[in-house]
Amino acid sequence: MKNIESMLLEITNLHARVEEKEILKGLNLSIKPGEVHAIMGPNGSGKSTLSNVIAGREGYEVTEGTVLFDGKNLLDLEPEVRACEGIFLGFQYPVEIPGVSNITLLKAAINARRKHQGEAEIAPNDFLAWVRDRAKLVKIDPKMLSRGVNEGFSGGEKKRNEILQMLVLQPRLMILDETDSGLDIDALKVVSDGINALRGPERATVLVTHYQRLLDYVQPDYVHVLARGRIVKSGGPELAKELEEKGYGWLEAA
Amino acid sequence: MSAQPHELATYSAQFERYANALTAAERAPRSVQFSRFLASGFPDKHQEDWRYSDLSRLAEQNYEPDVTTADGLPIVLLPDADALVYINGHLQGAPSTSRWHSDTCELPPPATGVDALNAAFASGGLRLRLDRNTKLEKPLQVLFISRAEAQASMSHQRHRIELGDQAEATVLLDFSGGGGERLATHFFDVRLGRGAKLTLYRIQNEAAGGTLVTRIDAKLSRDAKFEALTVDLGGGFIRHDLDVVLAESGAEAIVAGLYAQAKNSHIDNHVRAVHAAPHCTSRMTYRGLVDEKTKAVFNGKVVVQPGAQKTDSEQRIANLLLSRKAEVNAKPDLEIYADDVKCAHGATVGQLDEVALAYLRSRGIAKEVARAMLLRAFALEILDRIEWPALRTRIEAALHLPSELTVDFEA
Ligand SMILES: Nc1ncnc2c1ncn2[C@@H]1O[C@H](COP(=O)(O)OP(=O)(O)OP(=O)(O)O)[C@@H](O)[C@H]1O
Ligand SMILES: [Mg+2]
Repeated sequence: MKNIESMLLEITNLHARVEEKEILKGLNLSIKPGEVHAIMGPNGSGKSTLSNVIAGREGYEVTEGTVLFDGKNLLDLEPEVRACEGIFLGFQYPVEIPGVSNITLLKAAINARRKHQGEAEIAPNDFLAWVRDRAKLVKIDPKMLSRGVNEGFSGGEKKRNEILQMLVLQPRLMILDETDSGLDIDALKVVSDGINALRGPERATVLVTHYQRLLDYVQPDYVHVLARGRIVKSGGPELAKELEEKGYGWLEAA
Repeated sequence: MSAQPHELATYSAQFERYANALTAAERAPRSVQFSRFLASGFPDKHQEDWRYSDLSRLAEQNYEPDVTTADGLPIVLLPDADALVYINGHLQGAPSTSRWHSDTCELPPPATGVDALNAAFASGGLRLRLDRNTKLEKPLQVLFISRAEAQASMSHQRHRIELGDQAEATVLLDFSGGGGERLATHFFDVRLGRGAKLTLYRIQNEAAGGTLVTRIDAKLSRDAKFEALTVDLGGGFIRHDLDVVLAESGAEAIVAGLYAQAKNSHIDNHVRAVHAAPHCTSRMTYRGLVDEKTKAVFNGKVVVQPGAQKTDSEQRIANLLLSRKAEVNAKPDLEIYADDVKCAHGATVGQLDEVALAYLRSRGIAKEVARAMLLRAFALEILDRIEWPALRTRIEAALHLPSELTVDFEA
C-alpha cells in the first residue's frame, strides 16, 4: 500500500483529451519527495500531454481521474496558482516573447510566488544577486537577460534559460520535457548540473527524455514507459538501458 | 449626400447667431464656407474616405457654439515644458502665452463637409512661428480641454505651426475631455522650412461623449524632418487625419501611432504621405490594441508622384483584436507613379499570443498581469519612440501598463 500522505504527486486513473482526441487513457503515477522519475516512450505517446495537464495548460481536458499535489486537488487550480504552489514545467519548445525581457519575467514570477505565500516583494539588490548567481551556474551571460524572453536564443540557450528560471524559482516539482534534446555535450552537462543542484529531500523531478545520456548525469530512481496513454512498464535505471538497446517494440507487443 | 440642408437646421440657427456678431467683412467668407457645409452636409459612408466613419448622425444634434470662458478644471501640465491651455476653444490664462496664440485664423479655400463646418465657425488657436535657425527652448504643451456644458456644445479651431529654415521645435497637442456631449474640430497647418525639424505629439483622451475631428496638414521643404506620434486613449467618436506632403528632396516624415485602451470608442486614423519630390523618406508605424466594443479604422496611404524617384517609404500596421465585439479595418494603400522607388507596406490583425500567455502563467504570473505584459510588449514599438520621459510615463500610466524592469548587471 502506498502512503498517500507522503506523496508529492499522486496521479490516479488520469484520462485527458486534446481536441476531442483521448491521449491519456487511465494513467497512474506516484512520486514521493526526493525522487527522480524518468518518463520515456515513443513519439506521440502523450508525454508532453501529461506534463501540460500537470502544469494546467489550457486546451487539455481531463475527463476522468485525479491529480493530487501535496494532497491538494491540482485540477481545480489555475496554471499560475500551480506554479506558485511549486510546480515547474520546463517546456519542450520554449516560446520567444519579444518585448518582455527575461529579467522582467523572472522578477514578476518570483514576486507572484512570494505574494502567493504572503511574503513581501523581493528587495531589488537581493533579486539581482540571486539571479546573477544562478545565471553563472547555467553559463548564461546576465546581459542576455535584458533581451526579450528567449528572443533570438539558440536552441541550447533556450533550454539553459528554462533551467535558469527553474533555479531562480526553486520549485518543489520539476517536470522537464525533453530539456536534454538538441543540447551539445557541454550544454547537457550544464543542464544536468542545474537539475542536480536542486535535488534534495523536499523536491522531486520528472525527466521526460528519449535518451540514456541525460540519465548518466542525473540518476533516476525510477524509469517509466508511457505508451498508448498509460504507463505500461516501470523499473529502475536499468530499464532505460534496456530501452536504449531494444527500443519500444517488445513492450508494444506485450 | 444624406445630410440634407433641412436636417442641418440647428447648425443654420447657430451660424446665424454667430455671424450676426461679425463685421460684414468677416462674415462674407464664413458664409461661403457655411453654405458649402450646408450643400455637402456631414460626410457619411458613401464617401470613400469616411466609409467606416459615418458622421451624418451629427446632423440631428444641436451643439451650441461655446461662448463661456471656463476655469477651475484640473489641468495636467508636464514638467519642463511651456504650456498653452484652451478650454472648449477658449484660451486660458495670462497674455504671456499669447506668444504662441492668435485670435484670428486664415481660412482655407472654400471647402466641404467637416472642413467647411470648421471654416465657417473657426476661431484662432495655436500660432507657433519660429525664425530660421531658432529653436524652441522647451517643448510646448498645448492642452485642448473639452468641458461639459449645460447643453451639448461645439468648438472649432484652426492652428498654424511654421518653422523657418533649420528651426526646431517639439510640440504636444494634448486633447482631453471632462465629459458631456461635445463636438470639437481642429485643423492644423504645419509648414517646415529647409532643414527644419518638428517633433509633434498628438495625445487624445476624450470622454465617452466626445466627438473629436483633428486634421494635421504638413508640408515639408528640402531636408526637413517631421516626426509625428499620435496616441488615442479614449473618446466617443474620433477621426484624425494626418496629411504630409514631402514637397522637396531630402524631406523625411516619420509618423507613428498607437490606438489603445479606448472603451467602446470609434477611432479612425487616416494617414497620407505624398512624395512630391525625389529622395524623400516616409515611415508609418501604427499599432492598435482594440478591446471591448471599440471600432478602429486605419487607413494609410503613400502616394509617389511622377518624378519622385528614389522614394523610400514603408507602412507597417499591426493590430491586436482583444475582444469578439471589437472591430478593426486596417488598410495600407500605395499609389506609385515613379519607377525607381522602394515602397513596403503591410497590415496585420491578430490576437493575443495564447502560447506566450500560457508560458507566462506557467511561471506563476496571474493571467491579467501576463496579459498586460504582452500588451505592453506590443505597444513598445510605439512607446519606445517617445523621447519625452514625463510624457511617456503619463501615457503608460493611462494605459495601466506594468513597468518594465531595466537592470545593469555591469554595475
Ligand atoms: N494541441 C494539440 N492538438 C491536436 N493534437 C495534439 C495536440 N497536442 C498533442 N496532440 C496529439 O496528442 C498526441 C500526444 O502528443 P504529445 O505531445 O503528448 O506526445 P509526446 O509523447 O510528448 O511525443 P514526443 O516524444 O514526440 O514529444 C499526439 O498524437 C499529438 O499529435
Ligand atoms: Mg513531447
